[in-house]
Amino acid sequence: MFAYEKRLQFPVKIKNTNPEFAKLIMSQYGGPDGELSASMRYLSQRYTMPVKKVGGLLTDIGTEELNHMEIICAMVYQLTRDLSEADVKKAGFDAYYIDHTKGIWPQAAAGVPFTSLEFQSKGDAITDLFENLAAEQKARTVYDNLLRVIDDPDVIAPLKFLRAREIVHFQRFGEALEMTKESLNFKNFYDFNPEFDKKFNKIGM
Amino acid sequence: MESLNLCTSPKPLAMASVPKQEWCDPYDLNTALMEGTIFPCLNLTFHKAPAKENACKTSSSISNIEQKNREELMSSLSAVSFALNDLTLYLDTHPDCPNGTALFHQLLEQRLNLLSAFAGKFYPLTQTSMVTGHYDQKHYGWSEGPMPWEGACI
Repeated sequence: MFAYEKRLQFPVKIKNTNPEFAKLIMSQYGGPDGELSASMRYLSQRYTMPVKKVGGLLTDIGTEELNHMEIICAMVYQLTRDLSEADVKKAGFDAYYIDHTKGIWPQAAAGVPFTSLEFQSKGDAITDLFENLAAEQKARTVYDNLLRVIDDPDVIAPLKFLRAREIVHFQRFGEALEMTKESLNFKNFYDFNPEFDKKFNKIGM
Repeated sequence: MESLNLCTSPKPLAMASVPKQEWCDPYDLNTALMEGTIFPCLNLTFHKAPAKENACKTSSSISNIEQKNREELMSSLSAVSFALNDLTLYLDTHPDCPNGTALFHQLLEQRLNLLSAFAGKFYPLTQTSMVTGHYDQKHYGWSEGPMPWEGACI
């Protein structure tokens, strides 16, 4: 179960209103490589993972992604908290405003709504771990792109933190892949699916 | 057929590998939070991101002494808690590392003390800290304090 702790994993304190930045950063809430996708991906995949330690890692990273989702939402909220009618028309924020006013809603930077089609839970440990390695790299690229276009230091600090986490998670998923491989046949990793053909798996559930 | 033997490789084909991380001496806790990892060996920076960004400096211009104390305590809690988050993932894949385990227990104790201190002096951040912080049992305290997303940094 999850319990709430009333603080952010990384502090967010943004002074200046900026609907343009809000619209871009929102992509890491509801976009294809966002934190909501990341969390749902790992928390969905963990149930059928054949190696117990990998299921544990997916739980802990999936939980951390919820913290990151909250950091992103706090950034969007603070960037639009003092939005005026004049601000609404700037930087294409008017379309978002019409549907959501200043409410926080998961969508990509280009307005595509959040959907579970953006992530996979394939029911094959090797496949899912490669999905996760790719997901961390995609999210890192999004943070790189955000860091290129955003010049407010209050916004840069949490973005830089979140980018660094993608690299650490990539490393951990790589180690999870190694642990999973150790439980498989080194001559042919693809002889069976360790999540389906359980009788072939050394470690089992 | 001889050609079958040409198909041998010291490492398995059609599979990728990521080397396992060795323990490296961690950053101090505040630097770790600012950099996004406790491990210098995993801090692979991006050339467009400024090297130093101090996210939530406890500002010397804060006239309200309670606010200042609250921010200082919250900053310590954030740094210790983040180090634990990062160390948890490390220990998930290195459960037998003695350096990691020792640091984990040391930080865990610091974190529990800070959570209790924060609840005792200001307001509770977790349900457990309402007990350990000797929170006043006469009134319900969970709704006290600003919500985390308000940016009060406290």
